[in-house]
Amino acid sequence: MEAEVLNALRDPAGLPMHPLVFLVLGVLTFALHIAAVQLMLGATGLTLWGSLSKDAHKRQLASTMLGVGKVMLSVAIVIGVAPLLFVQVIYDPFWYTSNLLSAWWVIGFIVILSVGYILMYAYYWMNGDLANPKQSVKCPGSLLASVVLLLVVGFIMHALTNQMLSPDLWMQWYAPEGKLDTSGTQLHSYNLWRFAFFISLSVPVTGAFLIAMRRFFRVRADADHAYLDWVGALGLKWVTFGGVISVIVAAFWMMGLEGKQAEFATSPWMLVSLVALLGFVAYATWVWNQQRDSMHSYMVLPVGAVALIIVAAAREALRWSVLVGQFGFDVMGYPLNIDWYSTLLFFITFAVLGGGVLSYLLTVAWQAGQTVGQYTPSATVVRMGHIALSLIVLWIVHFFAIGFYVWMQ
Amino acid sequence: MDIIGLFPTWYEPGVGSGWVVGMIATAHVLFSHTSVGAAIFFAVLATIAYSNNKPEYLEYIKKYGLFLLVFSYVLGSITGPGIWYSTTVASPRGISSLIHSFVWKWATEWVFFIIEVVGVYMVVYLVGKVDQRTHLRITWIFGLASYTTMLIIIGILSFMMWPGKEAWFIEGGYLNGFYGSNTFAQLAMRTFFMMSITAVVGSIVLSRFKEDDLRRELSRYMAIMGLVSTIAGASLFSWYLTTLPDYAHLVMENRLPDYFVPALLSVVGGMLVYFLALLFKPRMITTTFASLATVYLLVFGLWPEEVARESIRKPYVSGQYVYSNQVIARDVPGLNIHSEIPILEKVGLVKAHPFIPDNLREVTPDNVLEVGHVVALSMCSNCHSLSETGIRPIMNYFGGNTDVKAIKHYLLGALATGNTLYMPKIPLKDNEAEALAVYLASMTDMKVAEQWKLKASALAQAKTGE
Repeated sequence: MEAEVLNALRDPAGLPMHPLVFLVLGVLTFALHIAAVQLMLGATGLTLWGSLSKDAHKRQLASTMLGVGKVMLSVAIVIGVAPLLFVQVIYDPFWYTSNLLSAWWVIGFIVILSVGYILMYAYYWMNGDLANPKQSVKCPGSLLASVVLLLVVGFIMHALTNQMLSPDLWMQWYAPEGKLDTSGTQLHSYNLWRFAFFISLSVPVTGAFLIAMRRFFRVRADADHAYLDWVGALGLKWVTFGGVISVIVAAFWMMGLEGKQAEFATSPWMLVSLVALLGFVAYATWVWNQQRDSMHSYMVLPVGAVALIIVAAAREALRWSVLVGQFGFDVMGYPLNIDWYSTLLFFITFAVLGGGVLSYLLTVAWQAGQTVGQYTPSATVVRMGHIALSLIVLWIVHFFAIGFYVWMQ
Repeated sequence: MDIIGLFPTWYEPGVGSGWVVGMIATAHVLFSHTSVGAAIFFAVLATIAYSNNKPEYLEYIKKYGLFLLVFSYVLGSITGPGIWYSTTVASPRGISSLIHSFVWKWATEWVFFIIEVVGVYMVVYLVGKVDQRTHLRITWIFGLASYTTMLIIIGILSFMMWPGKEAWFIEGGYLNGFYGSNTFAQLAMRTFFMMSITAVVGSIVLSRFKEDDLRRELSRYMAIMGLVSTIAGASLFSWYLTTLPDYAHLVMENRLPDYFVPALLSVVGGMLVYFLALLFKPRMITTTFASLATVYLLVFGLWPEEVARESIRKPYVSGQYVYSNQVIARDVPGLNIHSEIPILEKVGLVKAHPFIPDNLREVTPDNVLEVGHVVALSMCSNCHSLSETGIRPIMNYFGGNTDVKAIKHYLLGALATGNTLYMPKIPLKDNEAEALAVYLASMTDMKVAEQWKLKASALAQAKTGE
């Protein structure tokens, strides 16, 4: 597919802000989304592992992780809306074509994800007392099926993303030997090492979560320290083992790159991201050995997030090098129709309202989680709540004020 | 280079891609309206519970909330992006036009989605674990954040039908596209119907309550909310109709299916009866009855409403400038968008479409049927099934006609000139119209193509002989 055609496929409405802004937001939100996906997968894996055991610690962990997996799937879906939005904005020619060529898989994604999620809930409903090792576990197959289906939807997303990178093969897939195939029943391109790399990161991400979780619960008056130390130690194993495995898998991914992607194998982007992952492993090891009871135990999460953002940036760099570098797609030349109002409204809503409201909600959730019995917030937290509520009311008032003004004009 | 930005086609012969989108979108409306309505209802009910010392009401909030976690926050949160996915493969340029005009609005809605998801878990799981004032504050944050998602999406849905203000075509600008009388009329109407839906779905949860007094008290709240909302929503529907352009009324009069009005009237009437039963005979509302009422609402209320919204904006699919067949139909100087009709008139579809195989870019006696098929896929199949099943089968519109010349005459006379109500202007080159006519005639009689091929070959030979 020639560059001229690829550029002609860009939406004529253009962008309301410079493409670089969407590119950066795409990377950041993808990193958050994939972190939630990885934690969900790791937590569900731990649930399955713990459920099949009679060991009290494992069953306790399985019970907690089932809750984490359930919430994280919800979080992954909602956060995933953002990178899905931004990829459509600047890479629309590639995203839409890739989706159309595998349309039934795109529709299947919705159905399979729904079934996978409901199966996870079904397991949760059937096993209300999972933490009790004397209680037999009902239908672990539903959780196993859920994990498998969630991996399938991950693979569909992977294939759609991979197909974007081969515009030179699109006509071959769409019209083999000149005959149109409009069925959308095929997934045309995938890279198992790449898929395995992003899935393998579930292990260190979940390990980091366990280290932080141990620290979180140990301040509770009713904390079971033996159990929590076991959780932390398990977390470190997952970080070190999973981190090293991920780096090895990434190396295989790079070595297997072919065609227009091959040049990226030695890119500094990938080397930096692998170093970041190893740095994260080293930091988590240091924390566990030297600072396990300090606030550093929480810091493994933001440090892990930074490593993931660097990995997400490398993923974006690969896409850029192929689509812009090799195929000549002019992303920076995307037509602009700058709209300052909607741009500022988003950033203010995101930073001020989102920051304010989520700070309040998460503070309450955090402190309530560390409290035995009923939690009553301090005056400062109450004030945060007033501000949070006021911000939303103000936003709604602004919506109608601007709206009526424009309408009456 | 005379190329227009058309994508490959996904053709689904069974029900049609349009219906796939319709089914996902209709289900999403049920899940999402319930979610937003329930969030507001929770805030009001929690206020009553805490002010009147009725902690048992919180039990209902918790149970309805747990139900919502699956009903709205699993199925609703998946079908939401599911609409994007399905429209991506059914109408890529339609969804793209919305995405590119409203990316920041959707990104803003995303911020509220996150608050909503965090909020619902806290409302459900922190009952009794935090003090009353904190729980009430969280419930209101959840309710209002949830409603803002409605405020945001309503403007985008309105734009999909008609840009808020006519000035948008000339001046562009997000505000001109987003706000208009249709935006507010639709918001008001949907807000009330949303509360009605919340009351119907909420009665499923209520039907599981064993304690009679509590069930009766809560049923009264739900029933009154349902009755007031249904009457208000139905009244506001009249206002909504006044905000539609004349063209939409013309389409409604001529194109809406016969079952549309009876179905909507039966739903409004049925809901009023249902809420009266909930008010006076709450024990009548069993789980099965309440579930059937929800399905009835989905099939006879939301589905026709979605079909109507789809129909009255035709032949456009977005902003009155993107045709349902994905061609940009008019200039929008405000965004520097140019109509693609002149390019199609100049070089024809098979030359301008980037995803046509090279062997079909010239019409020959050997490929005429294939070219006709490709033209039908690109220009017709979004709204007309090319098989006997699915959405508006195209063969039904030609009454079994196998006269290639007559069909071609219609295509060039009525369709290529844009003189058919409800249909896009499809400027076909003469040979493309001939190929499409051969294809359409062949749908009734497969021999037509062979006969045409023989005739065309004979004509070509005769010309060579001269």
